[in-house]
Amino acid sequence: MKKPGLVGRILAADSAASMLALIAVFVIFSAVNGRFLTSLNIHGIIVSAAISAITGLGMTLIIAMRALDLSVGSIMGFSAIIAAELLAFGWPLWLVIVAGMLVGCGLGLLNGLLIVLLRLPSFIATLATLSMILGGQLLITQGETVPIHNAVFGSLAIGTIGGYLPLAAIIAALIFAVVWVVFHRTPFGRHVAAIGGDVRAAIGAGINVNRVTLGAFTLVGLLAALSGMMVAAELQNADSTIGAGAELTAIAVVVVGGTSLAGGRGNLFGTVCAAVLLASIKAGLNVANVSSLYEDLVFGGILIVALMVDGLRRGNRRRGMLVV
Amino acid sequence: MNDLGAQAVQAVDHGHAVVRATGIRKAFGGVEVLHGVDLDLRPGEVHALVGENGAGKSTIINMLGGRLHPDEGRIEIEGAPIEFRNPLAARRAGISIIAQELEVVPTLTIVENAFLGAEPTRHGLIRWGDARRRVEAVLSELGVHADPDQIVGSMSVADQQLVEIAKAVLGEFRVLIMDEPTSALNLADTARLFKIVRRLRADGVAILYVSHRLWEVFDLADRVTVLRDGNRIMTAEIGQTDVGAVIRAMLGTKSSLIAEGGKPHHAARVARGGLPALELEGVQSGELLQDISLHVHPGEVIGLAGVIGSGRTELAEAIYGLRPIERGTVRLNGVAVALRDPKEASRRGVFLLPEDRKLEGIFGHLDVRENVILNYDPNSEDLQAPQTAATMPRARSPRRRLGGLAPIPLKAERRAFSAMRAALGIRCSGPEARITALSGGNQQKALFARAALSGPSVLFLSEPTRGVDVGAKEEIYSAIDNFAARGIAIVVSSSELGELFRLATTIYVLRAGRIVAQLAADEASEEDVLKLMAG
Repeated sequence: MKKPGLVGRILAADSAASMLALIAVFVIFSAVNGRFLTSLNIHGIIVSAAISAITGLGMTLIIAMRALDLSVGSIMGFSAIIAAELLAFGWPLWLVIVAGMLVGCGLGLLNGLLIVLLRLPSFIATLATLSMILGGQLLITQGETVPIHNAVFGSLAIGTIGGYLPLAAIIAALIFAVVWVVFHRTPFGRHVAAIGGDVRAAIGAGINVNRVTLGAFTLVGLLAALSGMMVAAELQNADSTIGAGAELTAIAVVVVGGTSLAGGRGNLFGTVCAAVLLASIKAGLNVANVSSLYEDLVFGGILIVALMVDGLRRGNRRRGMLVV
Repeated sequence: MNDLGAQAVQAVDHGHAVVRATGIRKAFGGVEVLHGVDLDLRPGEVHALVGENGAGKSTIINMLGGRLHPDEGRIEIEGAPIEFRNPLAARRAGISIIAQELEVVPTLTIVENAFLGAEPTRHGLIRWGDARRRVEAVLSELGVHADPDQIVGSMSVADQQLVEIAKAVLGEFRVLIMDEPTSALNLADTARLFKIVRRLRADGVAILYVSHRLWEVFDLADRVTVLRDGNRIMTAEIGQTDVGAVIRAMLGTKSSLIAEGGKPHHAARVARGGLPALELEGVQSGELLQDISLHVHPGEVIGLAGVIGSGRTELAEAIYGLRPIERGTVRLNGVAVALRDPKEASRRGVFLLPEDRKLEGIFGHLDVRENVILNYDPNSEDLQAPQTAATMPRARSPRRRLGGLAPIPLKAERRAFSAMRAALGIRCSGPEARITALSGGNQQKALFARAALSGPSVLFLSEPTRGVDVGAKEEIYSAIDNFAARGIAIVVSSSELGELFRLATTIYVLRAGRIVAQLAADEASEEDVLKLMAG
């Protein structure tokens, strides 16, 4: 059997669609408006893409496990608020960051426990925690915005190395590397995929489904907390608008990136591509003076197209199985 | 890993058992399904386990695999009693199961599946290189040439099964349980599987081989155990028994249960000449149905005999549009038709009463009336028993009006239901009784009523009296007689020979997907049919 050439392999890859779309978006927006390719704009795209990619990478594992986590946005906001409050208390920055991530882990673990102990479907359990975590945010802030006065914290998101390479991109790249190794090179990661592919077979193989579920939800909680704090660092303040709607963005980048909602596989690289794609579209619309009011409409449309493509591919796969 | 299952090799000693189960009892929801079953597996033997559906085979397999726990009795491994808390414990004890439904993760690769749950790691990271080499070695031992990085879901069922076998070989196992391993395989793949099984046996592995296909059992096994209704009927060296004895043990008294009074109305129901209501000519579907030709006239009942796996179920599915027909012709009243799906089949008046009521027939969350009037079409001929013919509604079809959105006139529906209830003697507390609260016989009658109300011209009945008590059986038989008397062509597929002789005028015998004989019921004996079934 002849191996397909490089171009063929790229086209056949699950992330091909989002990569091609990304190139198209860059070409179109650059052509429409010269301001699209300015370094300031590119910097903005990278920071925003990095933030949604980090949560999206965690969500990729959750969707590969054939689950959903609707609470990631609220975890982002909650951790951001906790971090801002602790900074205001005068805690050292490193401790604040550790504490923020631990809060994310704890909330993720709570999701996992609800799913495992009460046998709730993940989207129901996380819908409930979403509401509770939002309530917690309001109780802590009393609806106020918590300001942040810490330049070092701010540079975590918008700082650069050598004036060009955004720190956020480096953080996202590190997270990508770690999540990739966890997903592809550890038993835990393969068990996540196995549970999503066929939970009965996973149990038959002696996999502790509960433990893997807890692990995956804790991990996505941690990553959501990290991106929440990056948003706060970018804004230099924190309130309950942080992370609002971010669960949809996270699911969108996963699905647009070529990971099937049917579970069993995850395309981490595709998720990163899709995060950059969605951030570019957003920035492009901005530069092209399209009112931000249209943003959600456009994003919803993209999500529908991505889901349609996923549905068609799944249909083909099913038919393929039947023929056998 | 060069010789398969080397860990298990011991002096092959045919008196000594690796696994011995004694006096195993198990009840589900108060109903005992295993009544003290014994089974022992010796190293280096293929032990066949046969029995009809519901005989208890799966239950005992699941116990050996740690998925169920016996209520009573004990399981010993190498003479030491053992209790498996979970499937993993059974695996650790060296018992590997290849389940009927494949347990591979379709989205993962061969190597990922082969080591799932037991990945070789260093510092927490999987050593894929090492894993790949070991899988490649085992695959080439098994004669499979596949890339270990291939996604399992893209492989044929036969190859997926080989992945499972590779998984079993990679684990430290001395007992391999195979549940219907050939049910999805073609002949070439079956032959390849046999070769592998023989190789494992030569390496001293004890193999429990569950199959419906007796020719496989006699080809492959060293010993055979027959279960019937939760009892062990026999265990014998394969050389000291024959197919007929095994079939008799499987079917038990059923095979001699010719209904009292012989064959009542046959003479009255001789085919009325003219075109057959249903005619198959040279129908083929995969390897499971080959060159099937049969015909049934309006008002005629024909019977299909054959051991499970002979193609009876597949034939029912093919006629009802659930299985693609690749070659041959199906004619309804002389017109060639393509029954692509059940919708098409029922539109043309072909109905199937499925073998498995619970899975495919009844809607457990609905009440009896709703189950009965599901396909109700008042346009149809009144097909219920004579005494209720007058009460049968003859309105225009309310279902079809407004594209099925028009409300169903409750009154007509109630009338239809009570007519059916009376005609078939459905015993229930009322039309609103939950169908699941009815006995098996009454559930079956409700399905008959549903079929009758849909105005069928051909009725295919699969195991019409399975799980039905003797009294209800006779009622169902007379309902079938009644349907036939009203001009419906009926095909009865049954594992109970007595039933076929009671109902049918012509009996077709199927074996390995082919019709091997067509017998007139009044001229043939059960013994003849049994012999033909076994081949």
